[in-house]
Amino acid sequence: MAEIQPQQQTTLISKTFPIKPKLKAKPRTQSQTPESKYWSSFKLTQITNLISSIPSVSFSPSAPHVFAAAHSASLSFYSPLSLSDPDVAASSSISFSDVVSSLSFRHDGLLLAAANLSGLVQVFDVKTRTPLRRLRSHTRPVHFVRYPVLDKLHLVSGGDDAIVKYWDVAGESVVLDLVGHKDYVRCGDCSPVSGDMFVTGSYDHTVKVWDVRVENSRSVLEVNHGKPVEDVIYLPSGGLIATAGGNSVKIWDLIGGGRMVYCMESHNKTVTSICVGRVGRESGDESMQYRILSVGLDGYMKVFDYAKMKVTHSKRFPAPLMSVAFSLDCMTRVIGAANGTIFAGRRKKKEETVENEVRNILGFSSIAEPERRVLKPTYFRYFQRGQSEKPSEGDYLVMKTKKVKLAEHDKLLKKFRHREALVSALGGKNPENVVAVMEELVARKKLKKSVANLDHEELGLLLMFLQKHATMPRYSSLLMSLTEKVIEMRADDIRASDTLKGQIRNLKRSINEEIRIQQSLQEIQGIIAPLLRITGRR
Amino acid sequence: MIRGGKSYVTSPPAFSNDGKKLLVCTAETVSVFSTSTGLQITSLEGHTALVTTVIVVPAWNPASKILCFCWTASLDGTIRYWDFAAPELMKTIDVKIPIISMVIPSILVQPSMESEKRPDLFAYLSTEDVKESKEEGNALRRQIRKCNLSKSRLVGLILGEVKQQVVLTVSPSAKYFGLKNKCKLQIWKVPAKDSDNAIVKKISLHHTKKISVLAFHPNQRIVAAGDVTGRILIWRLFGDKTFSKNGEKNERPMDTGEEKPGVRGDDDADSCSTWHWHPAEVNVLSFSSDGAYLYSGGKEGVLVVWQLDTGKKKFLPRIGSPLLYFIDSPDPSLSSICCADNQIHLLKMPSMEILRTISGIKAPSSYHEMYKGLNNGVAFDHTAGLVALRTENYCIQLYSLFDDRGVSEVQVCERNHQPGDDVMVVVTLVALSFDGSVMSTAEIKLAEEGIGGLICLKFWTSGFQNKEFSLLTIVYEPHRDAAISAIAFHPSGHMAVSSSYGGDFKVWVCNNDNQKDQMLQNSSWTCHSVGSYKKKPMTAAAFSADGSVLAVAAETVITLWNPDKNVLLAVIGETLMPIVTLSFIGKSEYLVAASWGSKPQLSVWSMSKLSAAWSYRLQIEAVATAVDLSSFAALALLPESSNETTFQERDGLILLFNAKDAVPVATWSAKKAKGGALAFIQTNQSSTEEIGRDGTPPRALLAYVNGDHEYVLFDPYNKDVQELSISHKEIHATPEETGRARQFGYASIYGELPQFDLKRTDTSWTPSFPSERPWETIFSGSSHNLPPLTKLCLPFLESLLEKRTAAVE
Repeated sequence: MAEIQPQQQTTLISKTFPIKPKLKAKPRTQSQTPESKYWSSFKLTQITNLISSIPSVSFSPSAPHVFAAAHSASLSFYSPLSLSDPDVAASSSISFSDVVSSLSFRHDGLLLAAANLSGLVQVFDVKTRTPLRRLRSHTRPVHFVRYPVLDKLHLVSGGDDAIVKYWDVAGESVVLDLVGHKDYVRCGDCSPVSGDMFVTGSYDHTVKVWDVRVENSRSVLEVNHGKPVEDVIYLPSGGLIATAGGNSVKIWDLIGGGRMVYCMESHNKTVTSICVGRVGRESGDESMQYRILSVGLDGYMKVFDYAKMKVTHSKRFPAPLMSVAFSLDCMTRVIGAANGTIFAGRRKKKEETVENEVRNILGFSSIAEPERRVLKPTYFRYFQRGQSEKPSEGDYLVMKTKKVKLAEHDKLLKKFRHREALVSALGGKNPENVVAVMEELVARKKLKKSVANLDHEELGLLLMFLQKHATMPRYSSLLMSLTEKVIEMRADDIRASDTLKGQIRNLKRSINEEIRIQQSLQEIQGIIAPLLRITGRR
Repeated sequence: MIRGGKSYVTSPPAFSNDGKKLLVCTAETVSVFSTSTGLQITSLEGHTALVTTVIVVPAWNPASKILCFCWTASLDGTIRYWDFAAPELMKTIDVKIPIISMVIPSILVQPSMESEKRPDLFAYLSTEDVKESKEEGNALRRQIRKCNLSKSRLVGLILGEVKQQVVLTVSPSAKYFGLKNKCKLQIWKVPAKDSDNAIVKKISLHHTKKISVLAFHPNQRIVAAGDVTGRILIWRLFGDKTFSKNGEKNERPMDTGEEKPGVRGDDDADSCSTWHWHPAEVNVLSFSSDGAYLYSGGKEGVLVVWQLDTGKKKFLPRIGSPLLYFIDSPDPSLSSICCADNQIHLLKMPSMEILRTISGIKAPSSYHEMYKGLNNGVAFDHTAGLVALRTENYCIQLYSLFDDRGVSEVQVCERNHQPGDDVMVVVTLVALSFDGSVMSTAEIKLAEEGIGGLICLKFWTSGFQNKEFSLLTIVYEPHRDAAISAIAFHPSGHMAVSSSYGGDFKVWVCNNDNQKDQMLQNSSWTCHSVGSYKKKPMTAAAFSADGSVLAVAAETVITLWNPDKNVLLAVIGETLMPIVTLSFIGKSEYLVAASWGSKPQLSVWSMSKLSAAWSYRLQIEAVATAVDLSSFAALALLPESSNETTFQERDGLILLFNAKDAVPVATWSAKKAKGGALAFIQTNQSSTEEIGRDGTPPRALLAYVNGDHEYVLFDPYNKDVQELSISHKEIHATPEETGRARQFGYASIYGELPQFDLKRTDTSWTPSFPSERPWETIFSGSSHNLPPLTKLCLPFLESLLEKRTAAVE
């Protein structure tokens, strides 16, 4: 497609230049990296009507990635598509006899396991919410239950009795009792590459790697986190695990024999939960890379790039955070807080495609549009035909010259109506434009004259503007001297009018305020300057 | 040697008959430009003084449209007839009186009969008789004369005398011609059958204001005149009484009591109407070829089109410079306007779009005098041979010295320039990096009674090949409210320094992220360090050729800094007056400084000894140094007193020094040196073809741009060129010397001084000395050129042996 630019005027002649405000200084570092932009593109929805802290949230692995949140003695399901509504309600919920501590979807998304503090682990059908199995063997509260990634028949759970149990779900029986932890078992994860391996973390500071194929029920590997372990996850490669405990998140290399790879200590309080997230964009350097999302009691969510060992994004929430989960399609991120709020974030893009999928699932097929009628000159559309035509390949594009947008004050300045231009700018909201017009008037040597020509109302407008902005450091160099001039020139008019007098009073007040600030700043400077001099001498 | 930068707008240009060429008077030549490309095709050279008029002989049938003949008149007192397609001089008529303006009415009308013998061609001249005026001692006699071009002689008849130089205007119908004479118009009727003694009748039309321009209607008896206050007066049916008395019979009964609205006194016109739009003097008046429209323009730079019957107006605004001429072409869709800033714009006619511009070098802006502390403000691109000039409309014009045309223009302040207004925004400084890819400008917005003054420093970058600069960084108030005195670039182009009268200088660095190939977007200039010396105003700054030393002049002393670490290295002092120009002399260890004021000085400082090497008491306007030369050139202004008698308008000297030696290597005298600039320009392939005729390309050319922005490029080391150079005078007066004693005066370019010639022969002779060490060169060269080894062997072995004679001595 060849583009023909409109004939560029090489000369600068007969060109108008609209008035532009002074440029602002750009920060030297970019305020948002592309990745940070991605992480803040999740539109936040708060689900507030829950009672107590949210110890666990989890996404269904199958589309449309419904998520479940445990709160108090119940468990609620939410659809991510409903997050755009202002008041999100749970699509359904299940009640328990005791506080629910942990939940886990099976990898096909059909079954859900939930553990509560009475020591009971229950398995539900996700669609009907009917309890299918009750696994009772733990004598103390259970804090962790997980379905293996590649196994539909077994479950792993761990509790305050320091025993990790490997269950046969169908038979409601314990296959293995894995003993080795010396304190509460609080967390664990199953290997993404093997159905037989899983990892658990305990308050005895250790993380143990288990293999059900090992006969004597001993842990295969053990790493010491150094703090009570709050959460442990397998990273997608299966060779690395990340553990959270205390203020730190540590990454361990399992294949390398339990070597610590990196310790991230950017949280201020205990890290309560971590999960794997992904930069779900097709383009860009970071597309489809995995990240560790960690949340802590300090209310921060941090995104950690474990390839570059760098925190790439950080976001503060107004409550201590307890749990975090990230959906497989990279569209939704859910964080459960200690005060019973769920911060659910959802990205806007691709929603249509998701909807289409939903429609297809629901069996709606697109209805054939009615046939186009032949356009006749009696229709209005006849006269608009072809206007929205897109150029095809091989067409020559003749670009239209870009029209210079002129503001009201620009047009007036073009006609040399200086006072009107000033008034028109004062009527606008943007103080930068007003200052720019004033600067232009100075450059034409007409500011004094246009101030002298202002009538009472316009003078009031100007005084109001001066009162608001004269003390702003960006404008003060121009506006302060202008204020003086205005008062000097229009003293008689101001004396004659009460409203103007009132504005002068306001102006005086704001100037006095500024003077006081300056004085206190000077005092501070006086305190600091000797200190700086002393330190400079050393 | 290349000359250029002439004014294109001294006289109105003329279109060729096919509208494809434009003939422009450029000093003593007439340049022919193509209207389709805007480039110069050829030039007519022959006149020895300013060409004042060019008239293209019109064609009357399509076949003759390709004929390209023109008449030119010049101040050298000749009228010449050219074929400008060839280009070839056909005829010269010497009238021996400087001609200010010439009209040839009779070529404008179609010859009536082919068979009839062609009548003599008569021209009417406005002349200035210099000789007589000198004898009589009174005001110059300026006369309107008649000249028989066919017989090449001046007719004795003097039509009138005027007090000032006037331009004649002829009516397109060829019946009348006229001139403005203060507050009145004088109009002559061209006799129908012109002969040497034909009586030419004259009328006068009066006005209360000084008339600035007049124009005749193409087919009606209407004359329009513009005055200095901006009014346009239109007299209709002028000359009813006088011109028609004895010719055709007067149809209208002459009634003395008849109403003649607007006509003053008993002026011979039917009516006079006045139009007023222009706020200032009207300089341009022209009727369209069909007579329906009147074009007018003036000092405010707006072209106004008046519909003659209704007085309705159309505008081409914001041209940005006073208009001087409006020329219609035979091609109805093309016309041109000439502006005072040396630009000729070609207009597409009914829509008045500017098609292209023939861009001459822009004249220095008039605020030189207004704003103190401005130096010439000219920057050179040493590699590409460009000069960057500040122009009045807040632009930087980049002008190619080799091609003699404007390359591009950079709008520094985004403002429209109103030629009549007070100048409140001034571009004070421009600096180019050595490779010309980075430019820095400083501008100052003057305050209106203490309100809103602002100083801006801007950094610009250009693409790889083109010279379209784009803005990178703006720094508002770089030195608080103190004005910037100088900007200099590091040789690498990634560092710059700006010094201010406020007592500090700042080093700026360009930090760009080269990793992502987005140079333009990511790079920006930031302040690297700030330095000051005893709170003294910093008046000049320069980087050394390798960029390791930064010299900043703190009024009278020179401070040397390490630019990277911002460490003061040394202080050299001191001069009598504040230094205004500072420059390192290429490879040598010397630094040259120039100071102005009551005791001006050119001083050369040795960096190794940290002391003054030598100095002169000269008013130095500009200093030029080159990176790879150990010499420098300085442009010195001669004292006012010696100016008038000795040098004939030559008020400057260009001196070429070797850094170690206080005796100038060469000297040239120059005209209009005030506000001039000097620079060494590196030669590239295209330019060496023109200059290096002897096969050896010169190392560097010296460019001299004078106060009117005319320039000359020459090789300072080549003797042949020196003879062609602008100065032909030997300099007698030697300026006061403060350094060592000198034995002889300035070397003259003719080589009249024997010492100078001796040196030349010495240097040319020296290289032919046989080498002391032939074994180094004896085998060099391609193998087929070498003599056989058997022959080479003997001299080679011989050369290795030590000569006994040398040992004895």
